[in-house]
Amino acid sequence: MQLNFAGREVTIKLVYYGPGLSGKTTNLRALHHLTSDESRGRLMTLETRDDRTLFFDMLPLVFRADGPSSPRTGAPRSFTPSDPGLGMSVRLKVFTVPGQVLHGATRRLVLQGADGVAFIADSQISETENNAASFLDLRANLKEMNISLKDMPVVIQFNKRDLPAVRPDAEIEQLARRGREPVFRASAVNGEGVLETFFGLLHLVWTKLEVEHQLSRTIGMEPHEFVPVAMRKLGLKQDEASLLRACVGGSLDYKKEGT
Amino acid sequence: MTSNGPTTTPEMAPGDIAMDPRVRLEDLVDRDALTELCQSFHVLFGIPVRIYSSEGTLIGDASKEHEVCTYVNTLASGRAACGATVGAVKLTEPGPEGVATHPCFTGQQYRIVSIAYEGRRIGRVILGPYLPAETTEIPTSFADLDPNLDLERARRSLVKVPRAKAETVSRIAGHLQATLDLILFSGHKTLLTSQMHLASVRESFRELTEKTQRLQDAYDRLKELDRLKSNFLATVSHELRTPLTSIIGYSEMLAEGIGGSLTDEQRDFVRTIQEKGEQLLSLITSLLDLSKLESGTMSVHREAILVQDVLVEVQKTLAPVARKKGVVVRLEGSMTLPRIKGDPERLRQVFINLGDNALKFTPKGGVVSFRANVLTGGGADGDDGLALLAAVKTQVEVRVCDTGIGIPPAERQRVFDAFYQVDSSSTREYGGTGLGLSIVKRLVDAHQGSVRIEENTPTGAVFVVTLPVAGE
Repeated sequence: MQLNFAGREVTIKLVYYGPGLSGKTTNLRALHHLTSDESRGRLMTLETRDDRTLFFDMLPLVFRADGPSSPRTGAPRSFTPSDPGLGMSVRLKVFTVPGQVLHGATRRLVLQGADGVAFIADSQISETENNAASFLDLRANLKEMNISLKDMPVVIQFNKRDLPAVRPDAEIEQLARRGREPVFRASAVNGEGVLETFFGLLHLVWTKLEVEHQLSRTIGMEPHEFVPVAMRKLGLKQDEASLLRACVGGSLDYKKEGT
Repeated sequence: MTSNGPTTTPEMAPGDIAMDPRVRLEDLVDRDALTELCQSFHVLFGIPVRIYSSEGTLIGDASKEHEVCTYVNTLASGRAACGATVGAVKLTEPGPEGVATHPCFTGQQYRIVSIAYEGRRIGRVILGPYLPAETTEIPTSFADLDPNLDLERARRSLVKVPRAKAETVSRIAGHLQATLDLILFSGHKTLLTSQMHLASVRESFRELTEKTQRLQDAYDRLKELDRLKSNFLATVSHELRTPLTSIIGYSEMLAEGIGGSLTDEQRDFVRTIQEKGEQLLSLITSLLDLSKLESGTMSVHREAILVQDVLVEVQKTLAPVARKKGVVVRLEGSMTLPRIKGDPERLRQVFINLGDNALKFTPKGGVVSFRANVLTGGGADGDDGLALLAAVKTQVEVRVCDTGIGIPPAERQRVFDAFYQVDSSSTREYGGTGLGLSIVKRLVDAHQGSVRIEENTPTGAVFVVTLPVAGE
């Protein structure tokens, strides 16, 4: 997270991690498609070869966090960027890492400074080992940055639910209940489960930032308002609770390690 | 968490890639190219275009002063009013919508629109002056400007200013913004790509450096272990030799009857003790030599010597064993060879070891030959600078040929490893410790020579030793 008081900006970095071809870029494309024009920037794809990500993809989502609790007057306000009455500009930067094993160095670079990770797993049973290997790679890379996986908000998405030969729902639910990380099911190519995963992660990240930095006070809103405001600003009609209900296991509460 | 003030750090940490606190217009666009873009808009619509960065630096413009402006500036009050207007336009902040309009006292207008990138304002475009389409009369602010104003001239020149409807100006501005957005996006992408390239290379380099360091540490540790092993071997060999010398000495005295006369059977037993003791001693000596060679503590005193002298001696030494086995040892080749630079004692050891080895594997009735030659144009194929160096390189080559079982090509390198036997069954059949050839290799190396194995026809092996001639 980067906080720029002078520019009244807060930047949050979210990273989509996972094995090659698990659908990280597809998630970003779907997210781009599902959010409103005003708040999202262009989906930037940096260096690809044969349609595979070499560096990263990046989707900026920007909105002004003048939540419902901030004073609203009918008259237009004079606009200066540092007018505190206008709240903060929230910049969500969503990245994907290159999944292929050989791009380890790039993965580490993209992961640096991440506030949360959405781990995109491929639901096909044949990919079970690749999913596990990529998760261990995530843990090793975080460890190299002196970050414990327990300190990093992580949600897991089982993508490609639309394919045959995938791990059955019941099995995923059973595994998810035993795990710590919230688990979502998705078919990113059809846009299903994408928002659930994204806002599940944003919820988790926000809760952590709130615990550590009382960010809602800085932004000028109630802690519980952030995700609903983000959803509304991003042009979504759903309410937060209905999206988060899609979570099939794990905990959406951030607990500071040791407490 | 990092807090960023208004200043950007000069060197960006890799983690800040694409999280950069400020994207600057100046960094993303080429000024000349931007000016060309402004010019094309100017040509198309006749309205001057200026682009400023958020710091207020002009980074692209295309304008030609309108006739009316030129005229206004000829009047003192006109100059002042014009300067004030232009100054005000520059300071006008586009409102929350990112658009503002600023009037000129002449009735003309300016349109100011912000340039935003990823939700941040990073500069602005100023379009104008242009004449609003609905203007029909000279405004009083212009007419009353100066008593010397020629109203007719003012009117004539004002109508030459390009007219534009408010929505047309909006469309032009929108189009310019869209074009700029595309340019900024491409520029930003390129900037990130190159930063990422650099960071990736740096990260890979860091990774490799770490790996290299780990390998170097492991290598140093192994080298140290190897040194300890050699030391240990040297100590043990020495400690083993001391009591053994006594065993051999006393059994010799016993066999000679110094301690009283022995029966034939007793003498036989004592002789066996003495013989086996000597075998053990030679094994230990070899081990000691090897460890000395490995630890680099064996001294090689190189002087100009004749290799044929060494070979004659070797032949004499080998003769008794050869006779017993029914094998002929022959010296062949040239007997007028240049001197080589070598240690006669060590070279004798080389050729005795090779001779022993050859005798061991040559069946009764076979031949072991030592053939010495001068080699000019020496050097193995593929040596560095062979085409240049071969012509000046003279070597002495000694070929030790046997008519034994030969050595398969795949084994020819490995026979020089310590304790190596082509086939463990050969130890039982032929005996030996597997140290002789590894000592040969190390001694030849210490002479800057080389040793290799070739095929003998119809059967057997040839050990080829090449040694550099003295004076090279």
